Amino acid sequence: MTTALTQGLERIPDQIGYLVISEEGVLASAGELENDEHTAGVIMQMVRTACRFRLHGTADPPFKRMSVMFEDYVYAVTISGQKVFVVKRQNNQREPVIV
Amino acid sequence: MGCCFTTDINQGDSVKPLIPDPSLDPTSGSEQNTGTLPSNHTDEEDQQKSILRRAALSIIDVSAVVSQGLEQREYMDRARQYSTKLEVLNRTLSQKNPVFLPSLTSQPHQVLAADLVTYSDLQQLSKIAAYAYSAISQIKVDAKEDVVVQFSI
Repeated sequence: MTTALTQGLERIPDQIGYLVISEEGVLASAGELENDEHTAGVIMQMVRTACRFRLHGTADPPFKRMSVMFEDYVYAVTISGQKVFVVKRQNNQREPVIV
Repeated sequence: MGCCFTTDINQGDSVKPLIPDPSLDPTSGSEQNTGTLPSNHTDEEDQQKSILRRAALSIIDVSAVVSQGLEQREYMDRARQYSTKLEVLNRTLSQKNPVFLPSLTSQPHQVLAADLVTYSDLQQLSKIAAYAYSAISQIKVDAKEDVVVQFSI
């Protein structure tokens, strides 16, 4: 089951690490996020807070993916089947240089 | 002299103290001085003893308490008792709060592999956030009339 979860994550472009987290704890981790329980905990708190947002009284959370953006990398987070998927991707975007 | 089986009538010497009591003997001068020092000394000693007695009554000997330690068996029993109680409490707490994570997508890998938020979007978001912050900081109370009003009944 873990390989089915992680296979797709490993093929994500520019990924430098990932986490699969459930309510009980970390199910899988790799790359720069390997064994990173601290980051897992922080991201779980952020996701739980974000899931409480609602737009105009709708029933579902108004987003599919949460992105935590830093200068050089991004944490992309989503939830599927009671599991939280986190991927750390390189952020190659830079301020456009106006020539 | 006062020994056994003596026929000496004068028994007074037998009860005569070896060390003369200075308070009863006003004539001896130097003896008097040396006599008062011992009495002061005993007063101080008595005071010291009473202080010590009071301290001893109020002191709590921690080492004595520690030495009444639990036996290994009793310690293990108590540890097991506490852990089972904690388990019960944890279970009741988690039952009260079943936090369900809503499912955001059925295609997590697709969603995560999609394009990242663009730099221009980020800039726009920062601008919007700055405007919102500025708007909130300009909220202030405009006092028009008294809050407390007198009713005439």
